[in-house]
Amino acid sequence: MSLLEVDGLTKKFGGLVAVDDFSFDVEEGEIVGLIGPNGSGKSTVFNCIMGLYDVTDGSITFNGDDITDDATHEVVNKGLSRVSQESNPIQEMPVAGNIKLFTLPNSIRSFYGGASEEEIYEYAARIDIEDKLHEMPSELPHADVRRLEIAKSLATEPELMLLDEPFAGMNQAEIAELADQIEGFREEGMTMIVVDHNMGGLMELVDRIVVLNNGDFLAEGTPEEIAENERVQEAYLAGEGL
Amino acid sequence: MSSATDRLSTATGRIDQSLQPLADVYNRLFGDYFGEMNGLQFVLIFGTAAALLTAPFWGNFGLVRAMTVAAIWAIFAMSWDIQSGYTGYISFGHSVLSGAAGYTTAMLIHNVNPELSMMITIPVSIFAALVVGLLVALPSLRLTGPYFSLITFVAVLIFYRLIPSFSQYTGGETGIQSVEVFTYAPVARYYYMVVPMLLIAVVLTLIARSNIGLILMSIRENEAAVNAAGINATKFKIFSFALSSIPMGIGGVLLVHFSGGVDPTTFIVVDRSIEMIAIAVLGGMSSILGPLGGAFFLIVLRDYILTDIANLGSSIRWTVFWALVLLVLVFARDGVFRKLWHGLDRIGGDRR
Repeated sequence: MSLLEVDGLTKKFGGLVAVDDFSFDVEEGEIVGLIGPNGSGKSTVFNCIMGLYDVTDGSITFNGDDITDDATHEVVNKGLSRVSQESNPIQEMPVAGNIKLFTLPNSIRSFYGGASEEEIYEYAARIDIEDKLHEMPSELPHADVRRLEIAKSLATEPELMLLDEPFAGMNQAEIAELADQIEGFREEGMTMIVVDHNMGGLMELVDRIVVLNNGDFLAEGTPEEIAENERVQEAYLAGEGL
Repeated sequence: MSSATDRLSTATGRIDQSLQPLADVYNRLFGDYFGEMNGLQFVLIFGTAAALLTAPFWGNFGLVRAMTVAAIWAIFAMSWDIQSGYTGYISFGHSVLSGAAGYTTAMLIHNVNPELSMMITIPVSIFAALVVGLLVALPSLRLTGPYFSLITFVAVLIFYRLIPSFSQYTGGETGIQSVEVFTYAPVARYYYMVVPMLLIAVVLTLIARSNIGLILMSIRENEAAVNAAGINATKFKIFSFALSSIPMGIGGVLLVHFSGGVDPTTFIVVDRSIEMIAIAVLGGMSSILGPLGGAFFLIVLRDYILTDIANLGSSIRWTVFWALVLLVLVFARDGVFRKLWHGLDRIGGDRR
């Protein structure tokens, strides 16, 4: 049994078919790249998995559990977490408070639960922002704001993490560092899906790549196979290239 | 500006330092639950509490009466704050909650049995406020954006129109004026209002400073992030409304036993809901104690200073009331008492 099984996923917005009968599986311990030109439906797939959109057709199974119709908080509590493309920390709270929110139990009776300061420090240390815990999000440079998003996601203790364009807006040194950290998460036993529109940052990192084009499955294979694949190159020729 | 603050803080810092040991005892015992404070803030909080509890010994009749009314409105404003101020889902209809409690008491006495004991009418009335609160919250808080506010607004309009439609039970426009008051003795009556108010202030502050408050505030700032944290934002929004309904019910019961009756103008009309918002905004939204301060400030000003001292007519008093609210909205949107609190933090001694 795969950790995540997406089967025949279809999402329509009115007459527009954003994702059309798309299927893919993710095995435990894998890092899968999900790529495709802009507008190919990658983020829509993530939104469907995370329960942000109602799925038009098809099913999503996680750990053998049907999560197709689950609300976002239920999906998260089952062990899935997403690092979204937009950074949206709560500006009124320092980094530590933003992380703490993601450790709070979903209970109206829990007045003082959630992570201790040491635990928050540990989450932050896994992505190297442990020395920024008392800074406000608005004081952080872009790369640290992105790291905060990952720390928040780590704080929900996910088994499977969805990373939506984690390298966007980062320079080469930052990309290399983040790729190392993602590799580190895998060694700790985490499974990941990384979305990107080009393959640059993914080649070294992922075990397998799934290509999405116009909401449809296009190809699947190792990074080398995908780089050679003519249909993938054709799809990208219309856009900006691999 | 900053040099003036610096000069001021060399003087006030010394006062603060001398008060710090007192504040530290408090911080050690309660800091984790209510937040820490410096010496000056300690004096503000406990000085205010002491002043409130001793008001009949230093205030005259007019002032104590105004403060009695203010205590009830402080309950309304704090209750509104834990829901609207914290979650950002602004309710324009909180008077239906206090109205539900007040009308339940009066209608039980008027229609069921004039001899009914307060031991029965009070819990039933508070429960009625909770039921009405859930009736408003359950359908509306699943929606996002302005729809929630509009629904709360419509709820007041419906409640207001229902009263004359069932006038044989509700007393129509003139209401029901046969409710027993707690007491006519002004001093005892003051304590009937101010003690529950202080208890509600403590409980709501405790909740606001806990994880619950953190989640409610996060809903206001970024509801999607709350869901992404594995927390059911809708559940917490509905909980905040229920949490608000109970003290609203208590306030409604106090008001009906203060005025000895109910009528739509005193309890229901949308003006009452807007006044709760105005008081909370003037004091400082999402701080609980800010709205408490706002209530005493505005109502003592309106009912005592402008009435007994300045001898102004009702229209002028209300104009001053709303003009002040407008000034705060334009120049001190965080609220007067939040500004005061942070000011004391700045001019206090260096704690680090």
